Order: sequence, then structure tokens, then C-alpha cells
Amino acid sequence: MSDAVATAGPSMTFHPQPRAGEATPWAFPAPERGQLPNGLTVLSCHRPGQQIVAVEVNLLAPLDAEPEGLDGVATIMARALSEGTSTYTAEEFTAELERCGATLDAHADHPGVRLSLEVPASRLTKALALLADALRAPAFPESEIERLVRNRLDEIPHELANPARRAAMALSQHLFPADARISRPRQGTQETVEGIDAAAVRAFYTAHVRPATSTAVVVGDFTDVDLDAALADTLGAWTGAPAEPRPVPPITADDTGRVVIVDRPGAVQTQLLIGRIGADRHDRVWPAQVLGTYCLGGTLTSRLDRVLREEKGYTYGVRSFGQVLRSAPEGTGAAMLAISGSVDTASTGPALADLWTVLRTLAAEGLTDAERDAAVQNLVGVAPLKYETAAAVAGTLADQVEQYLPDDFQARLYERLAQTGTVEATAAAVSAFPVDRLVTVLVGDAAQIEEPVKALGIGEVTVVGG
Amino acid sequence: MPMGHTATQQAGSSGLTATEHRLANGLRVVLSEDHLTPVAAVCLWYDVGSRHEVKGRTGLAHLFEHLMFQGSAQVEGNGHFELVQGAGGSLNGTTSFERTNYFETMPAHQLELALWLEADRMGSLLAALDDESMENQRDVVKNERRQRYDNVPYGTAFERLTAMVFPDGHPYHHTPIGSMADLDAASLEDARAFFRTYYAPGNAVLSVVGDIDPEQTLAWIEKYFGSIPAHDAKQPPRDGSLPDTVGKELREVVREEVPARALMAAYRLPHDGTRDADAADLALTVLGHGESSRLYNRLVRRDRSAVGVGFGMLRLAGAPSVGWLDVKASGGVEVADIESAVDEELARFATEGPTPEEMERAQAQLEREWLDRLATVSGRADELCRFAVLFGDPQLALTAVERVLDITPEEVQRVAKARLHPDNRGVLVYEPVTPAADETAQDRNDEETAQ
Repeated sequence: MSDAVATAGPSMTFHPQPRAGEATPWAFPAPERGQLPNGLTVLSCHRPGQQIVAVEVNLLAPLDAEPEGLDGVATIMARALSEGTSTYTAEEFTAELERCGATLDAHADHPGVRLSLEVPASRLTKALALLADALRAPAFPESEIERLVRNRLDEIPHELANPARRAAMALSQHLFPADARISRPRQGTQETVEGIDAAAVRAFYTAHVRPATSTAVVVGDFTDVDLDAALADTLGAWTGAPAEPRPVPPITADDTGRVVIVDRPGAVQTQLLIGRIGADRHDRVWPAQVLGTYCLGGTLTSRLDRVLREEKGYTYGVRSFGQVLRSAPEGTGAAMLAISGSVDTASTGPALADLWTVLRTLAAEGLTDAERDAAVQNLVGVAPLKYETAAAVAGTLADQVEQYLPDDFQARLYERLAQTGTVEATAAAVSAFPVDRLVTVLVGDAAQIEEPVKALGIGEVTVVGG
Repeated sequence: MPMGHTATQQAGSSGLTATEHRLANGLRVVLSEDHLTPVAAVCLWYDVGSRHEVKGRTGLAHLFEHLMFQGSAQVEGNGHFELVQGAGGSLNGTTSFERTNYFETMPAHQLELALWLEADRMGSLLAALDDESMENQRDVVKNERRQRYDNVPYGTAFERLTAMVFPDGHPYHHTPIGSMADLDAASLEDARAFFRTYYAPGNAVLSVVGDIDPEQTLAWIEKYFGSIPAHDAKQPPRDGSLPDTVGKELREVVREEVPARALMAAYRLPHDGTRDADAADLALTVLGHGESSRLYNRLVRRDRSAVGVGFGMLRLAGAPSVGWLDVKASGGVEVADIESAVDEELARFATEGPTPEEMERAQAQLEREWLDRLATVSGRADELCRFAVLFGDPQLALTAVERVLDITPEEVQRVAKARLHPDNRGVLVYEPVTPAADETAQDRNDEETAQ
């Protein structure tokens, strides 16, 4: 007894858990909205102290505008914008950009092409001039396009080898109709990319890139910057045809419950991706869906990880999420609702069985008030942390533009989350993840997982090559 | 001249300041005020990492980091996560060769809660640590290893190269994730002993950055951490010193199911915290960071032999830093052709040094990266801890950009000449294999037997 006391050593003084102090009000920043004479929409937002300015440019060049058989041309065009202009060669352009200490990324997704520039505020004007050059006078040299096409072809095997990327491709392929662009890889396949040349890139650019259908979001500390002058001299010099309406095709999906195994002989883990489509941000249910999805699998203490990770140790982590695929002004858009993670091969069957039990329990018993409260406190409370940098604010503002949402959507969302009750959150989560309407993709060793998965009765099981 | 093209007047520090304090039990404290956003970051660095692990117990520091989230005397189960997230905060922990860090970013009015939580586990983790959480987190960490290393192409390259540049028996020979066998072997008593040895107030630095009242913050820190008993069981880490260069080229060829051939290499570089380390960082930036770098222009643009190329620096203070080259080959290209082009570029750079334009670009890039790190309260808190733990002076975090901008082209050339040659590297070559059906079946049988 005395030995035990001696080895335990002296102890610290314990105090009760402290209470929170008084919260400082914080609101998601309201941007200023304007339009340049050339038709370019501009959203700007002064964020004191943010020396790295973030610029996001949305181009209304969606993937469904790609010509038949040329999937990937939007991606090649996006990359080619920074591979030489009327003023600079490809190498010179990149060197000038890096001389500003800037980074410029461009990528093509279903709603359009997005360019993201980050640069210290003192060099913003110079970097905007380069960005404007890329947008209004890209050279699209044949040799550079050919190089980008070959480079893209070389990337494809790396993407296919990555279990998470492979699962995402398989889910889109099986969920959406084969003739819908959204069913196919965003950056094209080997067959389609091979057919892309400089003429195709230029034609896509001419048809879909112009200031009148584009938006620039600029966020950062503008204390020493004359933003209006900087924009007028750079992006203001970009010219193009007026905007034409472009209808957004509706998204349909077959979410009949079923399982697709992408065979990876010898894989030590199974990558899971379980999904369907559901409401986007235009739908009134969005705040409740955000809450419900968080309670199901937003974090380590949500329902899925409580069992799959913290009780069973099957996984490093499983998450549920809602990710907007594409929205339309009339509200006909959709979000991908999914659960993803990876589990060790031997635990695949038991992990899926537990996952379905979690979903069934949720449907039968609903969320608790305590879960709902914790979710609201987190989702609303983290806002000032999440939006500390200019890049985070710019990204959300640009998403709102891309999804045809009002500029105060995010600011209002926090109020709506706080007003959403447990019953609504439960209903939204249950209708987002109904146990019999989920398409399950498993990238793993079919010889080991096929039988245990069949035994679960979560739908017909198909095995495809890795 | 280098200062002439700095992007900000204060060269990245934004006029930030930090104050230093020490409690009677040895806990060092760094505070930095910034009232622009109502948030506060808490960061706690323990001076223990995988370099402190012993043979047969690799991965213990990281496994232990997971156990720090399994409750302590006044915090049940997953309470550390639940309480922080429920307060609108975010949190995590990470383990590297040289340290383990824990961090919370909180709405400013919830700062006291984060301090209370960190103090509770620093002072009383063993009251809650049990077999159940040990067994559970062992499985979680093994799945982390599978997800991040074993089930992805080229996933074990980092381990293989590290093992080459740091010889067997060296404290950095193994990486923080550890081996499956050692993770299986770790016992509850190992974890308890690890805590008693390394999780002492005198072996930690606590930083708090953001919208804080320094006097009040220090009073809370004294209240919650001040009574944690000092103890000094820690032995100094094993000696990590090595000759400046490897002395000969080491080489390993991996035949695996990977999507493309690859050339990877690890070079021994100067210790972090020296001018030479900053010079090496600039050299690697000119050579292989970004799309105007020499290797990108040569391999991706001109030769078209590579899908992509990167040359990054893993800064280490207790052992030589590592320069990390990664080239994925284009279809049909032989690794030998890539390797000779790389060697040609490195040799040319060692002879010529960087051009003034290359210096300007590289310094501008590294400056922006620093501004990015310091743009958030959590990034700043982490850097203050880093410089306090590894170099004894948190103020160095606020002047790091100035030091990078002060490096001359001659210093960059000198370090390239001394370090970036074939006799100072481990080389890892990947040659893809396509398993025939019968071989695959054979492999699977082997694995079943092993289980």
C-alpha cells in the first residue's frame, strides 16, 4: 500500500472544468459586388492582416460543354492558360509568376473552370497582370498542348492506382447514366485525351471563356493596394463576346442498393465509398442535411467512427459528407452524399455490417438533442477559425458564385444551422442515407471480401477489374 | 540586395512579437498577441519523437500520441475531442522524428478550456490509460499505417530512403509510423514508461497565440499547469551526428506493382537552424520546386521524360536534414536516362550556382511559404514552439524569412557543390511488375499462411 503511494508520486491540483468567457461576435465577411465595363463580375473583400491575397476566377466553361469524345479538353485548356501568352513563352510566364512569389492553379470541374492565384499584397498588381494575360491572350502553342496531353496521359495510371481516386471514378460510373458527362472522369480517359490538340483547346476557349460570363473574387489586406486601379489595368483589359444563357442539365442517378468490387488482389485494405445524390445548397433541407451528416460521420466522435474506429479499430477514420456536384439557378442541382474510408481487408465484412447497423439505428431511433447541440456548436463555432485566411474566404465566395447562391449565403447559413432542430436533422440524415438506396464501391481484394460482403444482403455484388 | 525584393516591410513577421515565461516546474511558455480575429491557438510541443524510440519499439511515440486523446483524470473517453469540438474548436496531434505536438485552435472565449484539457493530460494521463484504449488505438494506428503507406503505390519509399541515409542503429533510421511487428509488441507498460519519461513539464513548450489577454492567459497557465510535478527522467537522445556526406552512393531497386517507373533519392543536407540549411533550401527550390525550376524545365518541358518532379527538404535539427528527390517517369522512359539528366543538371548547378533571377524567384517562393505559415494563429503557434524546442529561442520564428532572404548565391552554390552529388545519396528505383495470375495466387497463399 505504502509502496503504491510512493511510486504514484505527488499529484497535480485539479480544478473544475472552466466555463466559456464572453464570445466576441464574428460574421462571415460580406463582399462588395461590382462589374467592370467588360462585363466581368468582381467580388472583393478587405481582410486586415491577410498579407497573402487570394484571387479566384470562375469561368463558365463546364465539363458538359466539352465536345463529344473530347473529355478532358477543359482540363488541358485550364492548364494551358499558363503555358505561354502573346507576351511570354511558357517558361517565361511561369518564371514571372514565381518571381512575384505567386502560385497559380487551374482546374476544370463540372460547373466550370476555376483559377486560383495567391500572392503577397505588395505584388498583387503584377500578378493580376499575368493572370489577365493568361485569360485574354493565351498562346496555346501546339508543342505545349501536345506536351500537356502527353503529360495528362502519363498521369492517368497514377490516378487509377490510387484506391480513393479509383473508388470515386467507379462510383460516378455506376451511379450516373453512361451518356451523362458526370458519369465519366473529370479529366478525361486515355481514349478521349489522346484526341485533344491545340485546335480543340482553342475552340473550347473561344466558345466558353469571356469576361461577361466570368467572376473574379479578390480577398486580402488592401491597405496599400489601389484595387480598383489594379483591376482596371489588368482584368479590365480583357475583352470578349457578351454572355449567352447556358442551360444546366438536370442530374439523375440510379441509387438502387448494390455493391461494386474493384478487384485489387493482395490489397491490405479495402477502400469504401458508399454514395448517392441528394439536395444541394438551394434546397431548404441543406442546413439540416449538414447537421445530420456531421452527426453521422463528420468527425472522430460522430456515430460512424465511434463504432468503426474508437470501438472496433477497423479503420483510421470513416467520414460522411455532402459535396455539391453542380447547382442551377432554378434549384435543379445535386450534391454527392457519401461515406468514405478504408478498413483492413479482414474486417471488410464486419465493418460494413456495423456501418449498416449505425444507419439502421439512426433511422429507428433518431439523433439525440445532445448530438444535435454539439454539432451546431462545432459547425457554427469553428467559422472564425475556418475563415482566418484570405484563401478560405475567397474559396467559399467563389463556390457561392459557381452555385448561383447569394453573396450572403454562408453568413445566413450559420443562423439557419442554429435554428435547425434535432427532428429536422434526423429526418435529413435518414433521407440522405437510406439503407436500401446506397451504391457501395469497394476497392479491395475480391477473393477475400466478395463472400463476406454478399452475406450482408446490401444489394447485388459485381466484381470488376482493378 | 536580397532585402530589396522582400514582399513586406517587416519581411514576414508583420510586426509580431512574442513573450517568454517559465513556470517553476520547468514548463516554458510563449505568448503572442494578435487581435484581428477572435481566435486563439494553443500549441504544446513535447521534446520527444521517434528518434527517442529504442529497437523493437518503433512507432511507440506515435502510438502514444493517439493514447493522449483517450481521456485523462478529469476527461472521459473521447472527451478531449468532444469538449474542444463542442466549443467550436479544432484539434489534433502529430508525431515526427524530433517532437510530438498537440494543438487546439479555439474561439478566443474558449481558450481556458483548451489550457485545462492540455494540463489535465500532461498531469494525469495514466489515471485513465487502460488496456482497452491501448488495444483499440494499436488497431487504429495499424490501419493508419496501411492506409498511408502499405496500400498506396510507392507508399514505403520514405521508409526505405530514410533507412538508407541514416544507417542501422542511428536514431533516425526508422520513421515515426514504426513497423507492424513493433506496434504489435508495444505493451501498456511501455506506454506508461514512455509517459513517465517524456511527458514532463520541463520537456515541453506551450505557446498561445491570437486574441488573448497575456496576463490572464499566463494566470490560467499557472493555475492549471503550475502544480504538475516536475520530473526529470529523460535521458538525452542517442547521438544523431553523422559525417556531412554519405561517402558513397547507396542504391535499392524495388520491383513492385506501381503505375510507372520512378527515380527517388535522398541526400544528406546541413542541420536545420544553420545558414547552410537555408542555403540548401534555396538550392532545392531553384532545382526542383515549382514549374520554373531547372529539373522541371529539363525533365518535364524539354526531355519530356517525367510526369512530374519534386525536390523538397525535410529539415532536421538533431541529424542531417534530408533532400528528397522524386521523379515519376513518363511511359516508356528508362530510369537511367532520367538519372543522367538529373546528375547533369546538379553538376551544372554546382559549377555555375544560381542566376540572379533564380535567386530572386526562389527567395520570393520561400517568403510566400513563410507568410502562409504565419497567416494563421495555429501556424504561428507551431513555429514558435518549433524554434523554442529545437533551437532554444522562439523569437527566431519571427525572423526566419529575413534569414532566408539574407543568403547569397555563393552560399547556395557552395552547399550544392558540397552535398548534391551522387556520393551523398541513397537512390531508390521503382520498376513496375505486372503480376501473372498464378503469381498472384501464390502471393495470396503466402499471406494466408503468415496470418
